Amino acid sequence: MSHHWISLTLNGETIEAEVPANRLLSDFLRDQLALTGTKRGCETGVCGACSILIDGEVSKSCLSLAVQAHGKTITTVEGLAQGQALHVLQAAFMEHGGLQCGYCTPGFLIAAADLLSRNTSPDDAEIRKALSGNICRCTGYQGIVDAVRAAAENLNGT
Amino acid sequence: MRNLDYLEPESLDEALRMLADYGDEAAVFAGGTALLLAMRQRMLAPGIVVALGGLSALRGIGYTPEAGLRIGALSRHSEIARADIVREHYPVLAKVAAGLANPQVRNQGTIGGNLCYGDPATDPPSVLVALDAELEIAGRSGTRRVAMADFLVDYFTTALEPGEILTAIHLPPVTPGRVGHYKRHLRTPAEHRPVANVALTLTERGGLWDDVRLVIGAATPVAQSMARAAAALTGQAITLDLAAEAARIAAEDLTPVSDARGSAAFRRQVVRATVRRIVAEAAGLDWSEAAA
Amino acid sequence: METSAIGQARPQINAREKVLGRARYAGDLKLAGMLHARLLRAPHAHARIVSVDTSAARALAGVRAVATGADVPDRRWGVGHKQQHVLARGVVRFVGEEVAAVVAETPEIAEEALDLIRVEYEELAPLLDPALSLDPGVPQVHEGGNLSEEINIDRGDVDAAFAGADLIHEETYTTHSQYPGYMEPMATLAEVDGAGRLNVWTSTQSVFLARQRLAEALDRPISSIRVIQPTVGGGFGGKIIEERSSVIAAFLATLVDRPVRLGLSRLDDILSGCFSVPATIRLKMGMTRDGTIVAKEVDILADCGAYAGLAGEVMTVTAMRSDNMQRIRNIRTRARLVYTHTMPRGAFRGFGGAQMSFALNSHMATMAEMLGLDVIELHRKNAIGPGETSVHDWKIGSCELPACLDQVSEAIGWGEKRSRAKAGGVLRRGVGMAAAMHVSGNRTIGNWDGSTILLKVNEDGRAVVHTGESDMGQGAFTMLAQICAETLGIPVAHVTVAAPDTDNSPYCIGTLASRVTINGGMAMVKAAEEARATILAAAAAKLGCDAEDLALVDGVIRSADGAHTAPLAEICRYHIYRHGGEGIYVKGSHDPQTVRFDGDFRGNIAPAYSFAAQAVEVEVDTETGQVRLVETYLSDDCGVAINPLAVHGQSNGAAVQALGWTLYEELHFEGGRVINGNLADYTMATADAVPMMHSMIVEGYEPNGPLGAKGASETAILPGAAAIANAVYDAIGVRITDLPITPEKILAGLAELEEASLA
Repeated sequence: MSHHWISLTLNGETIEAEVPANRLLSDFLRDQLALTGTKRGCETGVCGACSILIDGEVSKSCLSLAVQAHGKTITTVEGLAQGQALHVLQAAFMEHGGLQCGYCTPGFLIAAADLLSRNTSPDDAEIRKALSGNICRCTGYQGIVDAVRAAAENLNGT
Repeated sequence: MRNLDYLEPESLDEALRMLADYGDEAAVFAGGTALLLAMRQRMLAPGIVVALGGLSALRGIGYTPEAGLRIGALSRHSEIARADIVREHYPVLAKVAAGLANPQVRNQGTIGGNLCYGDPATDPPSVLVALDAELEIAGRSGTRRVAMADFLVDYFTTALEPGEILTAIHLPPVTPGRVGHYKRHLRTPAEHRPVANVALTLTERGGLWDDVRLVIGAATPVAQSMARAAAALTGQAITLDLAAEAARIAAEDLTPVSDARGSAAFRRQVVRATVRRIVAEAAGLDWSEAAA
Repeated sequence: METSAIGQARPQINAREKVLGRARYAGDLKLAGMLHARLLRAPHAHARIVSVDTSAARALAGVRAVATGADVPDRRWGVGHKQQHVLARGVVRFVGEEVAAVVAETPEIAEEALDLIRVEYEELAPLLDPALSLDPGVPQVHEGGNLSEEINIDRGDVDAAFAGADLIHEETYTTHSQYPGYMEPMATLAEVDGAGRLNVWTSTQSVFLARQRLAEALDRPISSIRVIQPTVGGGFGGKIIEERSSVIAAFLATLVDRPVRLGLSRLDDILSGCFSVPATIRLKMGMTRDGTIVAKEVDILADCGAYAGLAGEVMTVTAMRSDNMQRIRNIRTRARLVYTHTMPRGAFRGFGGAQMSFALNSHMATMAEMLGLDVIELHRKNAIGPGETSVHDWKIGSCELPACLDQVSEAIGWGEKRSRAKAGGVLRRGVGMAAAMHVSGNRTIGNWDGSTILLKVNEDGRAVVHTGESDMGQGAFTMLAQICAETLGIPVAHVTVAAPDTDNSPYCIGTLASRVTINGGMAMVKAAEEARATILAAAAAKLGCDAEDLALVDGVIRSADGAHTAPLAEICRYHIYRHGGEGIYVKGSHDPQTVRFDGDFRGNIAPAYSFAAQAVEVEVDTETGQVRLVETYLSDDCGVAINPLAVHGQSNGAAVQALGWTLYEELHFEGGRVINGNLADYTMATADAVPMMHSMIVEGYEPNGPLGAKGASETAILPGAAAIANAVYDAIGVRITDLPITPEKILAGLAELEEASLA
């Protein structure tokens, strides 16, 4: 099997690593780099628990090989907060019941961050569409939608 | 997932040579969304993947009034959805790309990969057939162009020969009055793959439709052009009755698939409803009050 | 304190670590030298295992062990019926049953080794249809026949009551099996430590039941096992005591003497169960002209799959729980649980209640129409009330069911929407409702439904709560922290709830039967009161005043006249640093004044009962059969809502799970094999598949509950299916009695109506 040296920017830091060709990006993050915030929920690209930002775009890390990450800029849930200061979405998810068991939460935060980077004042339908690649079994989505809406309003100062 | 070698050709020639060298053992890797899924579920087990990511010839979306639109096969769905030239000249294609699956898949999946996989339960094939798309395919002996309708051979089967690579999708230049519509039906709101979809393109002349293409996807093994239904809509004033008649014809001519997500009879019924609706909507008619 | 610690919406106390991605779930944990396990599953629904050849798998580099049924303890484990070995032995009884396990250096090697195991099966005829299970000559799932359990309940004089009824209606309803769908597939990390003890970190709803089960299955002393609960990514009943992978993982750890992690893939998790119990329910009810229910006859056939697990208990709930919601005296019920060669079914949120709620509420709507009555009035007329004793001797404490009915009917505009003219278009709307009850606690595991809290107050005045009750995401730890803070007089932020750990936590049953708020919460009140008394006594000694004059508020001790004051931390240090001093450790225990069922299923099993009502509007596409939920209002009677944010979250999540069961999710079998065992084909709702969820709370006061609270997490899943089915009927006149409500069934129903109208 081929092995590859990859270099990428991960949560603001430059990372170099050797990966076997068949290693999924999600496994690379979790098992090789111990960034376990990115979750395995279905490993078939449906549930979105493994979502990360690749070059600023929400992506499922179980649908990508680690070797494909070479040269990319990646943000995982661990990269959202600035030190002790939570990302506005993280604070909103806490405040508005955007999570319960928390297993899907990293993926939803990433998908929501992607949305807000493109659309600063989404309506509920746009929020729901933007989160349609993620599954939550606890909240019924209402708390999540409320949280994203509140985060957008917060960012807009409304 | 089994051990594999990941090859990164730097040119199309090199990629084609690799495919020739490794034959059946190799699989072409574009965005990876479908291939990785198939590999994880052990439907495919290539020992070698030839990753096309570095091939600039397969990238980019460009338009000229003479040649029309060229979409590099590695264009991701989100890139197509956002491309100004697509939105301007082929808004129906931009709309299809913007609504495909979910945001993650749109960001990761490529149009080329989507077409080569040959999965019927997806959005692009029917609309590309209706837009008279041609596919540019590179092989060791040169490049050929294949009409989209001929590219789709059967369930998960395309006209791509072993060792060939889909390089681009071409759409003819837009002509005045040419418009496109697309409508898909999800079995339930929780489904993300269409159980049936309908693409409709036509040229409006004096309030009548000409050069009509009506193409059904997802309900059939490959996107199916509905010539009789299209003919019925050509040169006639579009009424709800005519929409219903075209829908009836399309349902009659349909070669539906039957599986756990929908029996043949169900798909026929859904196609009939969806055709009636797309025709009515294209003509600015309200279909909701009168059942077919 | 400026604001009370209870009653306001508040983030979960572990929310921060979850949004940071730093909460640790079992599959995130690693130990030095850790190995990885993978499981080989049976491809046949029923087969004899002729031989298993593991030699090639064992020879693969990196493989540390391969285990089969021949290697596991002889002792069988199970809930009531002791039927299972750790790995299948001799016979496989469902597609997906674990036949062998591989432990290897990496998950990839373990997976590769699975392909090298050669199992020879002799295929046997399977029994797949529960309806045939009791016929003569069909394949037997277990020795002793396919009938797992049968219960019969007879109350009053049913025949006489039917004879006196003005209206009798009979219908058969079928319900299907639902996947719990927790986002965290089962994961376990297990090791035998240097002292020979087995340490297990697993995704569980109960560390003590997990430990008991491991002791049985691995045939070793209870105290040689320690079970620790990491953060749990949802349970919904599936992680109580029926899942098997934690048992296998622990066994493998004992086999290789190295830490072993077994994280199930989603496909594995689906194949191994544990789905809800599908039941066919024949319901016959008699009413007088004014809508009074006078008689009920019920016949239930429930399918537990290959192993009984908790399905017998689940079926009991299906059979008799909803009887207690209404003032009915004449009931005859027969319920039979049968085996089939399919995946084991069992506990699932609602614990059997949803199945009967679908039947009962569909029936109520039908009979209301037959009598020309509004179904909400029909519910109101028959609803049991506070202070009443039900037909099965349940003593109803708080009951706000009528207020729930008011709330949902007003919110959705029931009267107006019911009376609007029926439109004849393609898209037709209708409204429907349903009402349900659930227990808060259940004296069912043994003659104890208690809970114990150990509370430490540290030398800085902050508290640590030790409990064996589990939080799977629903907010149990937050509830305990809030009650602790409120009762003790410190900020919620000063309370830590330690993860359940059988070595360090007090013995508790765990999280099931909506018992943790009411019973764990009561134990928490008692512990916090005890701690406060201890602190105030110490303060009185230190400050030279009477403890009765002192109060602890917001972390400060003050006398009523303000003359004496001390920060809590100072008193906590004083409690230690004096002759004969010690840290503050107190215990609160609470076992409710309930009883177990007697032999005739009578007895007040729970300290309180929760109620809920839901009203929905749907839109039916008459051309495609698609049903879309347009609006939903769910009202929960949970007593005092300790944390409204958590209650709404639970209600919304339950309502969407019910929506999925009703319209979106359906397990497809082919010859006993699940053919849609992945999340692309078993479609759970995404955010764009649900409307805005409206959750409402009717706040009553439950006298048997902590600070007036009772359970709030399960009732909300019960009314959804019938509310939707009733709305579909209202929209198009098609009565679906067979879940799920699929587009095909809608279209078939419409076609039938049309045929009838032409006939």
